[in-house]
Amino acid sequence: MNRATVRINSRAKVLLDSSSSLLFSLLLAQLPVFTNASPVPQRRPTDMDKLSNQTKNLMKLTQELLREHAFDSDVEPHRFRSLPEMSNRSANSLNNLELKPTLSQLHADLKLYEHHFEWLNKVSKKHHHPALPKLVEMIREMKSLINLLHRQMLRVEAPRLTQVTPSLPPHLPYQFDVLQSSHELLQHFKLFCDWAYRAFISLKPKVSAAQ
Amino acid sequence: MPGLLSSPVCLTVIWFLSWSLRPGRAQLRTDEVSGVQYGQMQSNVTLACGKSPIRAPVAWHLNHSSALPWHKVASDGALVLLRVDHSAQGNYSCYDARGLLLHSVTLRLGHPPGLLSVSCQVPNHTHVRCSWTESVKTFLPAKYDASFRGTGQEWRPCVLDVARQLCDIYHPAFWQTIHTLRITETNALGSETTSARFRLHELLKPDPPESLLVKALEGHPKRLLVSWDFPASWPLLDAFPLKFQIRYRPQGSVYWSEVFSEESPVVIFDALAGHLHQVQIRAHDEVDSDSQWSEWGPLRFAKPWEVSSTPEAPDELQTEESFTDYFFPFSTKPEISTAKSHNSVHPEDEGNLGLVILLVLFSVVILTTVLSLIFVVWVRQRRRDQVTKQELTSMVKMKSMPI
Repeated sequence: MNRATVRINSRAKVLLDSSSSLLFSLLLAQLPVFTNASPVPQRRPTDMDKLSNQTKNLMKLTQELLREHAFDSDVEPHRFRSLPEMSNRSANSLNNLELKPTLSQLHADLKLYEHHFEWLNKVSKKHHHPALPKLVEMIREMKSLINLLHRQMLRVEAPRLTQVTPSLPPHLPYQFDVLQSSHELLQHFKLFCDWAYRAFISLKPKVSAAQ
Repeated sequence: MPGLLSSPVCLTVIWFLSWSLRPGRAQLRTDEVSGVQYGQMQSNVTLACGKSPIRAPVAWHLNHSSALPWHKVASDGALVLLRVDHSAQGNYSCYDARGLLLHSVTLRLGHPPGLLSVSCQVPNHTHVRCSWTESVKTFLPAKYDASFRGTGQEWRPCVLDVARQLCDIYHPAFWQTIHTLRITETNALGSETTSARFRLHELLKPDPPESLLVKALEGHPKRLLVSWDFPASWPLLDAFPLKFQIRYRPQGSVYWSEVFSEESPVVIFDALAGHLHQVQIRAHDEVDSDSQWSEWGPLRFAKPWEVSSTPEAPDELQTEESFTDYFFPFSTKPEISTAKSHNSVHPEDEGNLGLVILLVLFSVVILTTVLSLIFVVWVRQRRRDQVTKQELTSMVKMKSMPI
C-alpha cells in the first residue's frame, strides 16, 4: 500500500513537472509572436510600397554581390551596349515624373536587365562563378518585381513598351571576362535600382491620385 | 672755331641731330622694358640683348645692379644664366660700352604644370564640386580649362573659380557608373591635362543636418527631445530621403548611445536624470548605403527636466521655445542600435493596454488548456489506480486462496 502511495506521489510529481514545463514551453513558443506583435495597427502597404520595397531589396542584393565579389577596377570594358539609358536621368527629372510613361519605361528597362542577367547566369554556370546562387536569387526577385510592376501598369492603364532586343556580348572565353562583365552589369543595375526606387517613392502620391 | 661752335646755326644743327636720334633710342626702351621672359627653374636661361645680335661688348645689370647670378655672356651679347633659381628673377638690362640702355627684360622663373591632385565633393545629387592642388608648385600664373562627363556622354564645362582652385558641375547625370573630370593647366612654360575618374554615388556625402535643438521634456526626468532640419543643400523632395544618426552621452562619459531616425523630432528615453548631455547628429542618404555619412554637426548640450528645475533656459542651452507644445505620442519611428541604448521610443499607452489585454487573454487560454490537460491526466490516472487497486485486491485474494 505504501509503495502504491509512493508511486502515485511520484507520478503526480512527474505530472506537475511536465505540466509546468508544458506551460513554460507554450509560453516560450509564443514569445516571438509577442515580440513581433505591434501594438499599433499597421497601414497596409500599397502596391507602390511593395514596388519600392522590392526594388530596395534588389538593390541590397546587388550591393551584397558587388561587395562579396569585389572587383577593383575603374576601367569599364563596355561590354553591354544595350543597357537602359541613364544619361538623361538627372535629379531634376525625378521632380516631375509622369506616372504612366515612367512605369512603362521602368518595366521595359527591367525586362532588358532581366535578359542581361539571364545571359550572365548562363555564362556564370559555365565558368562556375561563385556568385551563382545569389545571382539566381536576384533573377527571381527581378521577375517578381516585373510582375508586380506589370500589375500596377494594368491598374493605371500604362502601356507596355515594345521590347528592345538586347545586344549581348559574344562568347566570354575566360573567367576574368565573366567577373568583369558581372561587375559591370551589377554596377549599372545598382544605379538603376537606386533611380527606380526614388522614382517609385516619388510616384506614390500620383498613383493615389490616379486611383 | 669756338666761334663757329657757338654760332646759332651750329647749335641748331646739333639740337636737330640730337632730336632726330632720340626717338630711335626711346622706341627701343619702351619696346623692351615691357617684355617678360619666362624660364624654367634649375635650367640655363638665355636673355638676348635686343633683337639683333650685337658685336660690341655689352654690360648686363640685374635690378640696376651689376651683381649677377652665375652666368656667362655669349659673343652676341646674350646673357646665359646657369642653373637658375628664385634669386635670378628680376629686371635685366643690357647696356652698350657708352652706357646706353639697349634692352631690358623681366625674368620670371617657375616650372611647367604637373599633374593636379583632384578631389570632388558631392553634397547632393544635383551638385558636384571638384577642387585641385598642384603636385608641382609652378610659381607662374596659369590658365585652367575644366570639363566633366559621364560614361559615353558629351564633355560639359565645369564652371571655374580659379582663385579658389575649384570648379562646379550642376545637375550631372548622376546615375552613371563613372564620371571623368578633365582639367588642363597651361602656363608660359607648358601645359598639362589631368583626368580624374569618380563614382559619384560613392562620393555622395550630405552636409550635416542643421538647427539641432535638444530640449528637456517637462515631467520626464529621463527624456530629451531632439529636433533638427535637413541640410540646406539637400533637396527637400520625396525622392531624396535621408536617415539620421543621433548620438548622445552624459557629459564626462566616454560612451555614446545612438538613435537612428528618418524624421525629426526624436525623443531620447534613457537620458541620465540630472545630468547635462552632449548631443550630435549626422545624416546619410537613405537609399544608397555605399554613399557616405555627413560630418557630425556641432555639439549641443541639454539637461533632462528636473523636479526643481525652473522654466528658464538651463535645460537647453539654446533658447528657442518652438517645442514647448510637443507631447506624446510622436510620429517618429527611430531605431536604437547600440547595446547601451535600450530604450523604446514607442510608448503609446493605448497600444500597451492592448498588449496587456492580449497577454491576459492568452494567459487565460493557456491556463484553461493546461488545467484541462491536468484534469484529463488526473482522471486517467485515477482510473488506472483503481484498476491497480482491483488487481492488488484480486492478487491478495488469490494469495489467500488455498492451493
